[in-house]
Amino acid sequence: MTGTVTDSHQGGWTGARLRWAGFDGIVLRGRSETPVYLFIEDGRIEIRDASDVWGMGIHDTVAFFQARYGKKNLSVNAIGPAGETLCRYATWVNEDDRAFGRGGTGAVGGAKKLKAIVIRAGIQKSRDVDRDAWKRVRREALDTIRDEKHITSPRKGGLSVYGTNVLMNATNSIGALGVRNSQFTSFGDRAEALSGEYVKDNILVGDPTCHACPVACKKEVEIKSGPWAGLRMESVEYEPAWSLGSNCDNDDINSVAKMIDQCNDLGMDPIELGNALSMYMEATEKGWVDGEGFAWGDTQSMVEMVEAIARREGVGDLLAEGPALAAERLGHPEIAMACKGQAVAAYDPRGLKGMGLGYATSNRGGCHLRAYVAAAELGVVPGLETDPLTWRGKGELVKTFQDLHAFSDSLDLCKFSAFAMGAEEYAAQYAVASGRSFSADDVMLAGERIYNLERHYNNLAGFGRGSDTLPDRFTKEASTGGGSKGHVSELGEMLGEYYAARGWQDAVVPAEKLRQLEIP
Amino acid sequence: MRINFYATLRSAIGQNFVELPLAEGTSVVELAREIARRWPALGDRILDAEGEISGQVHFMIGGRNIRWLPMGSATPLSCDEVIDVFPPTAGG
Repeated sequence: MTGTVTDSHQGGWTGARLRWAGFDGIVLRGRSETPVYLFIEDGRIEIRDASDVWGMGIHDTVAFFQARYGKKNLSVNAIGPAGETLCRYATWVNEDDRAFGRGGTGAVGGAKKLKAIVIRAGIQKSRDVDRDAWKRVRREALDTIRDEKHITSPRKGGLSVYGTNVLMNATNSIGALGVRNSQFTSFGDRAEALSGEYVKDNILVGDPTCHACPVACKKEVEIKSGPWAGLRMESVEYEPAWSLGSNCDNDDINSVAKMIDQCNDLGMDPIELGNALSMYMEATEKGWVDGEGFAWGDTQSMVEMVEAIARREGVGDLLAEGPALAAERLGHPEIAMACKGQAVAAYDPRGLKGMGLGYATSNRGGCHLRAYVAAAELGVVPGLETDPLTWRGKGELVKTFQDLHAFSDSLDLCKFSAFAMGAEEYAAQYAVASGRSFSADDVMLAGERIYNLERHYNNLAGFGRGSDTLPDRFTKEASTGGGSKGHVSELGEMLGEYYAARGWQDAVVPAEKLRQLEIP
Repeated sequence: MRINFYATLRSAIGQNFVELPLAEGTSVVELAREIARRWPALGDRILDAEGEISGQVHFMIGGRNIRWLPMGSATPLSCDEVIDVFPPTAGG
């Protein structure tokens, strides 16, 4: 997608099942001439012929392997047609609906002709750890997550009850909800029809969960009317409710659910997809496309285009390149809301200033998850609450969050654990799991080393001075509505703070910083 | 004055919003106390033990959290103001 280093993480059961099968991870090298899949069981990995499933959607691929190996104790991680056609934002999806969503790793699978990774393994006691100590830290972690003062609290906290889409009305209120390709910052009364509250009251049918999680933020829905009536899918999340909803001027939650399910089946990132569609709608509005294009909120055309993108048919071939490259080819790169070639997410940088700095300095291109200072700017992290419209202090804050999350991503913990826990809790859990002495300072140092190493890689890959940017729309066009009305992102000022906190020279890690962090 | 509730606050009273005929200049904390008096189910969700606005709730005036306004919970309200009240929210 970007030419930077990338990483991507998925919920579900695959990670745990891989360990139960005897492996901490898999390194894939080279490529196959013909379609293959990996079958993993009892400490063995075999490369098997995947000719029968090449070309299938992910839902059919999962069903195929369940028929072959049985449903019990089975995880299927697969690419869809979008990965096979090398759509730049293709994904890996496990268990029908949890994806390595960002960065285009599904296209890497397609390039290797690797269709699926199939793992069969039941629950195992996987490590030789101090059982009493493990029970203690596990109990402490669960108590923290379940505490009613946290949004992770089962059946009490917003995340558990409404899923991630509990954010929709909040970002709409503060003026951080992009509309019409981020030309506007609030969806007004129409946001309600896309919100987690609306979903719960109207189409929610289940709350499935990932491995070992009491939160159950996944939201399974069933569409009850209209052209997609009867579709049962998971999960309606905040990001696609924005990218395929308000940002395309679409307030039809049924169509959003339909397109999320298409993404889960075809194997595409709905954030990038929504940005590609909204970019093309703006280009249509301004008369910059050949042919008819399609209008804001034209859900039928959107649904048809999702399929065309996955197959690289017609305009779909252009939009499969992602909004940044596609807008460049249309002659208007300024209407791609992207950083380092990857589209931004559902937090307008004019209404959440720290999130803008996070997008600009993310090592994998536009990304809300590397820093996720929205937690502090929305006031859900006790002691770190900060005004979302203030730029001062965001440099140090973004660095802290990036370093913390670089560590937790290395453990492949759910990002939402950070809504209840921090470096102290992570250190205690890692110390027991690894048998090593480990402190909160060690957590932050490990995260800082990871973040600097990634950035050094990017520097070597050609991302140097001046590469940490935001689209001009966020720095020059004032917010139109909500609490942020009139604001722009003060990215330059925040970058000054950020580079000082990092010890970088502009976007570059200097040699002395690498030495200080013992990065060879 | 219209007060919109969201997420778990909404389910606590079974309504998306309420309208209260409060006097011009009523402060946010006075509004919160009036809400707690009329809808006791929200009482301990929006007020702390001292009767001040709880740290577990966000009152928004025109999309700005009162926490970041100069007068905080003492901020006076206009009769035509729309107030949004959220529990802590994050995700994404």
